[in-house]
Amino acid sequence: MLNRPSLLFYSLIVLALFSCNRLQVRKIPVSDFFKNDEKSFYRLSPDGKYVSYLKPYKGKQNLFIKSLIDGNERMATSLADYSVRDYFWTFSNQIVFSQDIIADDEFRLFTLDVSSLKTRNILSLEKGRIVLFYNRNKLEPDMVMIRMNKRDPAYFDVYKLNVKTGELVPYLINPGNITEWFPDDDGKIRLVKTSDGVDETILYRADENAPFKPVSKSNFKDKIQPIAFTQVDSCFYALSNINRDKTALVEINYETGKEQKVIYSCDKADITRVSYSSNKHRIESVACEEEKEQKHFLASDIEQLHNLLTRQLPTQALNVVGRDSAENKFIVFAYTDRNPGTYYLYEKVNQKLTKLGDINSSVNPDELCAMQPVSFKTRDGLLINGYLTLPKGAAANDLPVVVMPHDGPWRRDSWGYNEEVQFLANRGYAVFQINYRGSMGYGKAFYSAGFKQAGGKIQDDITDGVNWLINKKIADPNKIAIFGGGFGGFSALYGMSTHPKLYSCAIVQYGLINFFTYIKEVPPYLQPRLQMMYEMMGNPTTDAEQLRAISPVFHTDKIKAPLLIFQGAKDETANISELNQFVRELKKHGTPVTYYLKPNERKYFRSEHNRMEMYGEIEKFLEENMRVKP
Amino acid sequence: MKVPQSIHRKNFKLIASFLFLISATFVVALFIAYDFTSNYVENEFSSKKIYVLEQTVKPYNDFFQNRIPEITFYQGYLDSTSAAKYSKSVFKDYPFVTQIVFYDVQISSNYLGKKGLGVGIQSIYEYKQRDGEVISLKKQQPDNYNDFSVMADKLDHFIAVADTTHEPAQDAKFKTFYDIQPEKISYLNIPRREEIKRYRELQKGGGRSSVYKQNMVTFILDQNAIKIKNAYPELYHNISIRPVVYDPLENESANITTEVAFSGALSNYKLYFSSPKNYLTAETNHRFMPIAGMVLLIYFFLVLIGWLIYRNLNINLKLFKLQYDFINNFTHEFKTPISVIKIAGSNLKGDNELSERQRKHYGKILDEEADKLNELMNKLLSFTQLENKAISLKKESINLNDFVRGYIETFRIKYPDFRLDYRIYEVDSFYSDPILLGSVFQNLIENAYKYSSPMRRELYIYIRLDKRSIIFSFKDKGIGIAKEETNNIFKKFYRIENQYNQNGSVGLGLAFCKELVNFMAGDIAVKSQINEGSEFIVSLPYESGNNLNN
Repeated sequence: MLNRPSLLFYSLIVLALFSCNRLQVRKIPVSDFFKNDEKSFYRLSPDGKYVSYLKPYKGKQNLFIKSLIDGNERMATSLADYSVRDYFWTFSNQIVFSQDIIADDEFRLFTLDVSSLKTRNILSLEKGRIVLFYNRNKLEPDMVMIRMNKRDPAYFDVYKLNVKTGELVPYLINPGNITEWFPDDDGKIRLVKTSDGVDETILYRADENAPFKPVSKSNFKDKIQPIAFTQVDSCFYALSNINRDKTALVEINYETGKEQKVIYSCDKADITRVSYSSNKHRIESVACEEEKEQKHFLASDIEQLHNLLTRQLPTQALNVVGRDSAENKFIVFAYTDRNPGTYYLYEKVNQKLTKLGDINSSVNPDELCAMQPVSFKTRDGLLINGYLTLPKGAAANDLPVVVMPHDGPWRRDSWGYNEEVQFLANRGYAVFQINYRGSMGYGKAFYSAGFKQAGGKIQDDITDGVNWLINKKIADPNKIAIFGGGFGGFSALYGMSTHPKLYSCAIVQYGLINFFTYIKEVPPYLQPRLQMMYEMMGNPTTDAEQLRAISPVFHTDKIKAPLLIFQGAKDETANISELNQFVRELKKHGTPVTYYLKPNERKYFRSEHNRMEMYGEIEKFLEENMRVKP
Repeated sequence: MKVPQSIHRKNFKLIASFLFLISATFVVALFIAYDFTSNYVENEFSSKKIYVLEQTVKPYNDFFQNRIPEITFYQGYLDSTSAAKYSKSVFKDYPFVTQIVFYDVQISSNYLGKKGLGVGIQSIYEYKQRDGEVISLKKQQPDNYNDFSVMADKLDHFIAVADTTHEPAQDAKFKTFYDIQPEKISYLNIPRREEIKRYRELQKGGGRSSVYKQNMVTFILDQNAIKIKNAYPELYHNISIRPVVYDPLENESANITTEVAFSGALSNYKLYFSSPKNYLTAETNHRFMPIAGMVLLIYFFLVLIGWLIYRNLNINLKLFKLQYDFINNFTHEFKTPISVIKIAGSNLKGDNELSERQRKHYGKILDEEADKLNELMNKLLSFTQLENKAISLKKESINLNDFVRGYIETFRIKYPDFRLDYRIYEVDSFYSDPILLGSVFQNLIENAYKYSSPMRRELYIYIRLDKRSIIFSFKDKGIGIAKEETNNIFKKFYRIENQYNQNGSVGLGLAFCKELVNFMAGDIAVKSQINEGSEFIVSLPYESGNNLNN
């Protein structure tokens, strides 16, 4: 038996050793990373008198309203079943919000009267979706535009909804090919985009009664994205990459369909974001992102505003996310790679910047890790951009690495706060994100280089990236995990089966396991979209062999390393029985696979509890497979 | 000397009964073991068939559970080319699939004016394997339209009642998308929930007119191509696939048979196992051998232990006999001097005046007999001492010539009819314990005199060196020792029974000599021929007396 003082002494020694080992990096609890947003989705009422935001109540996001006149802050809704999904203000000081009842596969729409704080269910749709669209017409303050696939689950029609009476009037019935609508500053839809899948057409109508007539046609590899009408010249602003590689901001004439002039372009990357003020009818800024987002201002007063804000909030990336109709008050969202985001209220009158709230105040930016943009050359000489987040307090060599290929594949990873990345980095892993070919934002050529390259050059890019990290001695070649959702999940599974020695384990969320099923998601009546799918992914009939060769569901015998799979049973795009069969086969072949099928979840886990469990399991899984093994 | 016979007899009875008992047990054990083995083999014959069935239908189950559902993975995108590739892989892995009929099925709202879900065939391909190549044949009409119509009706019904909010249950899927006929399995790829919803709309007459593709595949199986995996060739001489109704009538029940039915698409057939009776008997024997061997081994082991116990008893008996002998001898030995002393004592005690001559005579007798007793006691004592290694050597240099001469002189006086001579070669002195060596000399010389017929009492001693040893040889012309006795004469209390040792012998002399010589790290041996004479050879490690003296 140890006596008391010596026991104390030994425990002190153990404690000292332990703390030395951790190199002073505190293990931030999973719940701090993945809890529901504390305060988010800040909006200003059009009259500038209220600020609204979402805040959890009983674990669900509920609406809160703060008066800017008397500073009163009140909880406006008390939903305990499902969170507020989306909301906006009407000009009549009503809030319209939607709720997704996942268990019943139902969408509900509510109005909230700000003065009385009464909520009313004005619309429900079973087995369909309601999307809040916009409200721009100040002359009809009770009218809001919504999109619904009530008539046909395959496509959305635009409806006009009176939030006072609940009256629903179809505004624009979709003949079946409209994929996007571009309301003008008065809320009229005069520009739409149709797509037959392969070719996209921009259509224009002079007023709501005139028929649409085509303005320009482009292949799906090209892109024309209308922004708004210009005030002169019968033109509209658009992001276009027709006849150029990188998307630029241009003016297009809606009579002739010709591009009138280029307003702004970046040489390294597409212009991906345009800030347009419908109140003042002007473009304020554009942004492109190669490594980090670069802003270019087209309105000098906004640039001044931005500079002023930057002086007060140095090192932060800033975005204006809300404003009142008079543009006297702005909601500013500030973030970094280590800050999940903070909302501020800026008042032009007295140039006052007030902090409104944090998305997540539990994480301290000083404890988090920097996300560095990196780039490497692939075996065929293509420059690939990515981001590398190294764990704090460790030398940048021989680190265990988690590779995170993004979903898509026609998407990208961006610089900014990512809780998964920060969580893994805090646990001592270097996190490597790769914008492989096919990723968006790097120009047309880079994007189309990824066509039909799933399991081909896309996978090679990921492999090359990992090898680059190994050659730079940053990665410990024996401790590399691959972790991804959707297409990223496919990359993880395919990487495991083709490079079994490279990865020691894989984590898959809502993984794509069968390309036939993936392609099947496009219903056959959308022939053109199928054509596009065939061109980008492969034709399931003629390329059957290739698709079979890469689809993990056919090759359960090739995956040997430990696997962790998460799936929400209500994920509309997933084929659960196929996934079950896949897991069953894997188990039969002796692959150590842990499978979590959560009944009331879609793709992304909404329930805080499920999210905590998932990341807890991920931490344990990585600990077991990356630390214990030599 | 007599040993009571009763001991022997009792022993023998015990041994006999023991032997009898274990032999009986042995036989019984063999019988039981054989019976048991035979039963076991029969049991196995009827129980192991399940395992054989499992092994035999394993490829079929694998095909049914993995390869058929793989069609769904293609989500209806199979066409004639990819179906041919699929067929080829099936033919390769599962030789019992002889033919695959591929239906490219179209689902539309109204097919041929039929109400409900329009399920029609766009094209039919038939795949067969010939010489490792897949032969594909486009067909206008299916050979058996029923296959398709059954499946189409099932799908129609399923779509009508399906609950589109949930994933269809396993059994509903099985009932709808599989059609299992004898030697034929039809399978329709299972549509996703999305498609089921759309089909439902088509069925109701709504939805958008479009054509959906489904794949139906019919597999024709040949039960005879199923490879029988006889995992127990020792049990089943012949396994065959027979129709369920197969039941041969055999006159003599020379064969033992059993059977087990297939399930699923093969349910019209069964596995029929038969083995000739002697086949099973052979197997029984085969399995019995090691058991019998084991029993035999145990039996021999028991017998061995019995024999060891018997031997042990025998040795004890001999020992007992020896000790009995010894006591007999010794009491006799002690008795003679004691009785002489007694007579002398009683004479001395008598009333008659003793003459001087008488007194001297009695005194001499008493003295002599006391010496005799003393000598006996000493002998016994030193012997036990020697045995227990309780004495120590007191070595000194011995002049061999003087030493031997001394003994010869003594014995010449003692036995005037004893002819003694000696010779010493190349050696003068010897370093040893004179008393112990003297005892050896005395015993051997005494024996030579004792075991010689009166006319041939001669002893020739000669001493020589042999390498590192010194050899003392005592050669007489006595009665000699039979060859079979030469090993025994050095044992304690052993005496050859003859006329020469009726008196004054205990059977300790030679044993004592041997003990002495061994004690001095030497050896004693005897060469003898009966009626010719014996030669006792004592060899001792030679240590030169001179060196040590200096």
